[in-house]
Formats: sequence, C-alpha cells, structure tokens
Amino acid sequence: MTDRPDAVFDLGLQAERTALAWQRTALAVAIGALVAGRLAVPVFGAGSLAVAVLGVVGAVVVLVVSRRRYRAVHQSLRARGDLAAVRSAGAPIAALAGVGLLVALLALAFVLLR
Amino acid sequence: MDEGAEDVPDEAPTDRRFPRRVYRAGREPDPRFSLANERTFLAWIRTSLALVAAGVALEALDLPIADGLRLAGALVFIVLGLLAPAQAWLGWAATERALRQGRPLPSPRLGLLLAVGTTVAGLLVLVGLVLR
Repeated sequence: MTDRPDAVFDLGLQAERTALAWQRTALAVAIGALVAGRLAVPVFGAGSLAVAVLGVVGAVVVLVVSRRRYRAVHQSLRARGDLAAVRSAGAPIAALAGVGLLVALLALAFVLLR
Repeated sequence: MDEGAEDVPDEAPTDRRFPRRVYRAGREPDPRFSLANERTFLAWIRTSLALVAAGVALEALDLPIADGLRLAGALVFIVLGLLAPAQAWLGWAATERALRQGRPLPSPRLGLLLAVGTTVAGLLVLVGLVLR
C-alpha cells in the first residue's frame, strides 16, 4: 500500500495511530456485542443472539471502513499535506456515535426489563 | 507538511463533506490536529462502552450488593454511557470547527457530569457492598 514510510510527512504517525484507535474501538464493539448477546439470552431469548451477530458484523464494517479511510488519509496527506481530499470524515463518526447510543439504550432496556 | 499550505485554496463555502456546519467553517487545519480529534472521539466511544458494560455487569452477574443500591448504580452507569456518545459527537464537531476557525478549543461539556456521575455510581456500589 505504501512505497515510502509515513515519517516523510507524518512524524507522529498520526494516520497509523488513528487507524489503530479505530481498530481497538471495533474490537471493543465486537466483544461487547458477543458478551451482551450471551448475557441477554435469559431475558430476550434467541433474539439476543441476533444482537450479537449484528454487533460483530458492525465491527467488521468499522474495520473495513477504517482500513479504507487510512488509505485515503495516507494518500491525501502525501498528495497535498492536508485531509481535504478525504471523503466524508464525519459520516463514520456520526454512525459510530449512533451505535454507541443504541448500545446504551439496549443496556437500559436490559437492566429495566430483566 | 506546511509548504503546500499557502496555495491550498479556501474551499470552505463549497466543501461537501459531512457535517457541513463543520466543514464550511474556516479553512483546512493541520491534519495532525484533525486526526487527534478523531482519536479523542473514539476514546469517548470506548468510554461509553465501558460505562455500559459496568452497568450491565452489575445487574447481570450475581453480585453480593444490596438490590436497590445495585440497580441505582447500574442505572447511573448506563445513563452516563448514554451521555458519552453525545459528548463524543458534539465534542468532535465543536473541536473540529474551532480548529478550522483557529479559535480556542471547547472544553468537554459533559466532563464534570461524567466525573460526578462515575463517583456517585462507585459510592452506590460501595455502600451496597457494605450493607449486604
């Protein structure tokens, strides 16, 4: 993917650190979904397994998007030194904030309904 | 990285990136700051997940904590977990806007509430453990 090291334009490895932050967030989402799905079986029945599957699929989507974004950030930084060429930086951020809100609402339902 | 900054046109008025409230303000900031802002957003999301996990664990595991206090602690944790993604999104947008306009960065709006709430939840659990 890269023919020159990041250090040429990015001494702090900002792009890579940001990609890693997305990856550990995706990992947290996947593990959280699996544990939540297991815990919720006595309360919500088999439907809770759907939550687990959905969470893992969502985490994979986050991983794929962050991978593509890393590439775009890298190319934009190399081509012009800023992030103006990176498409829709806010969209994955808004989506993930929405997922976080949904997870918290599901947890609220779990605690109140059990 | 700074050499090209002068000849980058101010493209804010026609910038199509989402959200436009952010990207149509000011001019393109140092990319390192934007990426750091993105990581701060992600850290808030993980904080939200941790708060929710704490609340769910209190109720899902069979812990020796007085019932009422345990439920109260769990609810405080989960309500904080609900607020954290809001802080994550609003904080990211406000910070990115401030970066683009060269203004001072906003403080985390819900920071105090989260600190107080986490303390309260911890105290509820502690008292619940003692009373049981």
